[in-house]
Amino acid sequence: MLFSQDINISEALQTNALSMTLMDEKTRYSLRIKPKDLAAFKKASGLKLPAKIGQSIRTSAHSYLCLGPDEWIVITANENRNNLREIFVNMTAKFTYSYVDVSHRNIGFVLSGEQVENAINIGCPLDLSLDTFPIGKVTRTVFENAPIMVLRTGTTEFQLECWRSFAPYICGLFDRFAMDL
Amino acid sequence: MANNKAPYRTAGRGNDGSKTINFTFDGKAYQGVQGDTLASALLANGVHLMGRSFKYHRPRGVLGAGSEEPNALVTLDRGKGRVTPNIRATVLEIFEGLVTRSQNAWPNLKTDIGAFNNIFSAFFPAGFYNKTFMWPKSFWDKVYEPIIRNMAGLGPAPSEPDADVYASVYGHCETLIVGAGPAGIAAALTAAKSGGRIILVDENPVLGGSLLSVPNDKIDGLEISKWLANSIRTLQKMRNVKLMTRTTAIGYYHDNFIGLAERITDHIPNITPGVSREKLHRIRAGKVILAQGAIERPLVFNGNDRPGVMLASAAQTFQSRYGVAVGNAAILFTSHDSGYAAVFDLADANIRIPIVVDVRDEIPKDIRAQAKQRGIEIASGASISKTHGSTRINGVEIYSPSTGAKRKVNCDALLMCGGWTPSLHLWSHSKSTIKWDDEIAAYVPDMPNENAVCAGACNGDFGLLAALKGGNKAAGGRKTYKVTARNFGAGTTFVSLPSYIDTSKQKAFVDFQNDATQKDINLAVREGFASIEHVKRYTTIGMATDQGKTSNLNAMQIASNAVNKTVEQVGLTTFRPPYTPTTYGTFAGYRTGDLFEVERKTPMDGWAQEHGAVYEPVGIWRRARYFPKPGEDMDAAVARECKATRDSLGIFDASTLGKIEVVGPDAAKFMNLMYTNPWAQLGEGRCRYGLMLREDGYIYDDGVVGRLAEDRFHVTTTTGGAPRVFRHMEDYLQTEFPHLDVWLTSTTEQWAVIALNGPSARKLIEPFVENIDLSPEKFPHMAVREGTICGVETRLFRVSFSGELGFEINVPAHYGRAVWETLFEAGKKYAITPYGTETMHVLRAEKGFIIVGQDTDGTVTPGDAGMEWAVSKKKKDFVGRRSLKRPDLVASGRKQLVGLLTENPKTVLEEGAQIVADPNQSIPMDMIGHVTSSYWSESLGHSIAMALVMYGFDKEGEDIYIPIEGNTHKAKIVSPMFYDPKGERLNVV
Amino acid sequence: MFEVHCPYCNEKRPEIEFAYAGEAHIVRETKADELTDQEWAEFLFYRDNKRGDHHERWWHQHGCNMFFNAVRNTLTDKFVMTYKMGVKRPTKTQIKAAKNGK
Repeated sequence: MLFSQDINISEALQTNALSMTLMDEKTRYSLRIKPKDLAAFKKASGLKLPAKIGQSIRTSAHSYLCLGPDEWIVITANENRNNLREIFVNMTAKFTYSYVDVSHRNIGFVLSGEQVENAINIGCPLDLSLDTFPIGKVTRTVFENAPIMVLRTGTTEFQLECWRSFAPYICGLFDRFAMDL
Repeated sequence: MANNKAPYRTAGRGNDGSKTINFTFDGKAYQGVQGDTLASALLANGVHLMGRSFKYHRPRGVLGAGSEEPNALVTLDRGKGRVTPNIRATVLEIFEGLVTRSQNAWPNLKTDIGAFNNIFSAFFPAGFYNKTFMWPKSFWDKVYEPIIRNMAGLGPAPSEPDADVYASVYGHCETLIVGAGPAGIAAALTAAKSGGRIILVDENPVLGGSLLSVPNDKIDGLEISKWLANSIRTLQKMRNVKLMTRTTAIGYYHDNFIGLAERITDHIPNITPGVSREKLHRIRAGKVILAQGAIERPLVFNGNDRPGVMLASAAQTFQSRYGVAVGNAAILFTSHDSGYAAVFDLADANIRIPIVVDVRDEIPKDIRAQAKQRGIEIASGASISKTHGSTRINGVEIYSPSTGAKRKVNCDALLMCGGWTPSLHLWSHSKSTIKWDDEIAAYVPDMPNENAVCAGACNGDFGLLAALKGGNKAAGGRKTYKVTARNFGAGTTFVSLPSYIDTSKQKAFVDFQNDATQKDINLAVREGFASIEHVKRYTTIGMATDQGKTSNLNAMQIASNAVNKTVEQVGLTTFRPPYTPTTYGTFAGYRTGDLFEVERKTPMDGWAQEHGAVYEPVGIWRRARYFPKPGEDMDAAVARECKATRDSLGIFDASTLGKIEVVGPDAAKFMNLMYTNPWAQLGEGRCRYGLMLREDGYIYDDGVVGRLAEDRFHVTTTTGGAPRVFRHMEDYLQTEFPHLDVWLTSTTEQWAVIALNGPSARKLIEPFVENIDLSPEKFPHMAVREGTICGVETRLFRVSFSGELGFEINVPAHYGRAVWETLFEAGKKYAITPYGTETMHVLRAEKGFIIVGQDTDGTVTPGDAGMEWAVSKKKKDFVGRRSLKRPDLVASGRKQLVGLLTENPKTVLEEGAQIVADPNQSIPMDMIGHVTSSYWSESLGHSIAMALVMYGFDKEGEDIYIPIEGNTHKAKIVSPMFYDPKGERLNVV
Repeated sequence: MFEVHCPYCNEKRPEIEFAYAGEAHIVRETKADELTDQEWAEFLFYRDNKRGDHHERWWHQHGCNMFFNAVRNTLTDKFVMTYKMGVKRPTKTQIKAAKNGK
């Protein structure tokens, strides 16, 4: 991975209590669709876009994250990139909407372990308990001075994404936290 | 029993920890037992003198037994970088090898030379410093302040960087309970059943609060220790309950947001490197139950600060909780029944009670009976007019106002009880209101401002039963308790205790830590300070590290008496966080050193570092400023980089430029509204310089915009402006132009940007580019193409910020460094030279291109900057358009952006330097402008500058002057287009 | 740190996700050319700076990215209500109802 040279995840973050791994290079598109067009767009494109802010849907091919009333991120493996792009290009004729490639803007991490909520809460002020932040919930938020996006993928597993230049700061904070474990 | 060597350790009581702990205080070795505080351990060794007072250097011992302690402040020394001043001995847990020092005394605690301040204390009244050290002004820095700082003060500030690390975390719970005394524990037991998340927090190392000081009481038939142990076990077993000890709730903020400071390693002998010393918990709670208890009030009388004089409840705590006798013969001076509970406990532990002095005439019968049973004499309706002793009390003078009789009684401890002050600190932080309660002569909670409730003594409900019931009720319970305990009783408050000595001759301390007396308050009132907030600042009462925990109410009462008002009318000073002193480290948490602030780095940053770049911060980005070769300073490096770029080829990392993708059928319409320039006619594949204004008509940002398709624009912004431009656009789009079908996406970090400038630029990229015809005819200046470079997708812009043939190569960020390295390697045959922001600035200034934020400052219009060419005359609307006709913006005499050439071509002016028209004018001179940009131009062989000058455009060819530090430089106003004004170099083939 | 109820996310979120964006219900003048300099100055610069219930705009910057309106009491610093952009300025009765817990 070309971008991993700038990112240093320490060994302290490879334990059962807390493990942090860098995700592979992914394809990410930011989609903007008018809410009134959503149902028709889904039908025409076959994309499984959730309707409510904060919801996500994972299929075998893609992750669909709803971040705003008219805003989604679709994340997929790079081998699906051309297919996905083709769908977007095809939809242009039928819908007034926007798609923008943000694949390299974001860097994704998987955080897991029994300490995962505590770890994210060192910088993120949201209540991450399962009741208020169930599996599948996604949102943009902050991690101290860094804007981030968090997605709960399991009881003790989260996907955390940030813009690439914020990654060393975020890794540094997790590293410091791990020393206290 | 452990540590019997300590003479005042009472066998069989309190701490029965068997472990002996060795520690030192002022270099002398002592022994305590596990569980002791420094205060209890020193008292066990008969040491009462623990500090010298702030102003008068009076000898002081402990006043309290907890976090309210104003006197016994010590310095904790754990080695280099781990020296903490002003720690209260009453909360400092001892551990093996602990090293502590007294403060504010020289050469030592017993013989303190500064104590002459005490002898001359008549000359140090309230406001003394303000009144005396006023003139001459220069004396303040050099003479007065150093002396005062040296003489009056707390412990010296640490001289080394903090060697410890700290932690910080956010947390959430349904119920936060502050204080784990009887009320807090009862509340936790009740609330825990609801199933919500409960946090019970206490500043002490063990839970129990006042329960730890009353071992003989019983709850529901159980001994206190048993009930407490059972309760804690119950709570520990519940998964929804988090018990936090050594953790202080320091501040109560909006919407039930509470700061908790947890001390993690201060009580541990060996510190593991990397483990946080303290942790800040930022808790959002659904409901807050405050069970902080109450603090006993000292009595204000002559000599009330002598070591050995302390709060009655403190003596009871030292006796019952720590097994430490505060003396052999203890006198009680009280105005409240609760003081008797303390002396009865002491008497039962075989401490002699020579006499109880009660200011009241009437004393409850049962108390009289209990005293009689113990053979304790009570002097009712009496007062203490003097205390004797130097560094420890050895007797008191008892004065009977009815007969005028005086009598001396010997003692080695004096306990005082002036009633109780509910702890309303956190309640008041939350802006909840309080009301005066005449019955207890104290403020109690009134209306909550948050979902919060007070329980127990802090609610004015005193005594064990009331605390338990209060805690239970606060958590929604209706339990009744069977309690065997001493009656808490009642008392009276006295503003002024009877004495035959005039108050002006008394040393009756109100605020022990700030050495403020009753006399000082009266003086402040006499000098006209009527507001209690002013009295506070003039006398400094309540402003020390203890924040007036023991002094505030006494001060209010004395002040209200002096101004002939009720306490309620006088009001209470504001409580402010933190509740107790908190280290800077705790507030910083994990955010120290490299983690203090984000430092954004570009994809090519690592390459720059390997090639010796010197960096500069731009916003929170770090950017390569220049690439010095061995022996080069910045000027030499920049001169070389400029020349190499103009001669052949320079390579520059422009990745930090903000990028916003504007997509949708109405994209051009939206761009027309956001920028001054016209966009509708811009063809696909073409670029245009865009100028953005605020609605008030001033320049806000600029950047090159490329039209990729009919409905897609690639907008660039300044590096620092990216977030605000995005916000500006989103704001207008969502709130003013929601009818437009267009969307914005930030793509700043999607693209790495490699800028190539110089006559060889095209030759370099030609072999690497596919699917783009690079010929000048097919790819003219100000064009953009999509294709591939080095095998990766690119948005290739032909633009120039240097005046040379230029390309800005956008590639997906992860590939940025690889493409850069490939081009750099291939560029060696063209003498490719990496350059940084400094050279970029020089190259653009040679062309007269502005930098928003450097040549503009938020008050510069396009007209002022000579950029009316960028403002569409045809468009009916764009943000800022109407404002360009504002009277002030069309008035004559505005500062306009011009070029400057110094008379001496070698002189490089200082950026920011002021400009005058007449160098011989007397001071203050009329300043007509200032220098905005100034550089040495290697290409031109002379310095160049840009400046904003009044009537600048009309003054072209005129001389102006720049006076800098004794030198006045002469310069001529010229056009800022210094280099290649015809722009021929852009078209080199 | 407040909690702000975002009307789009429909949940309370921490203050640091938000940015204040000035007084609400100031509509941009579309016929700016017809306004006198004084009228334009009033649109640009004159604000109520109200003591009490204040209508203002907030941006859920680190959340759903939406601008919305709020009534916040500048005296108590408490949010009374928030509502989506485009919803009419709430009446005194609606504000009162919101204060009484809706």
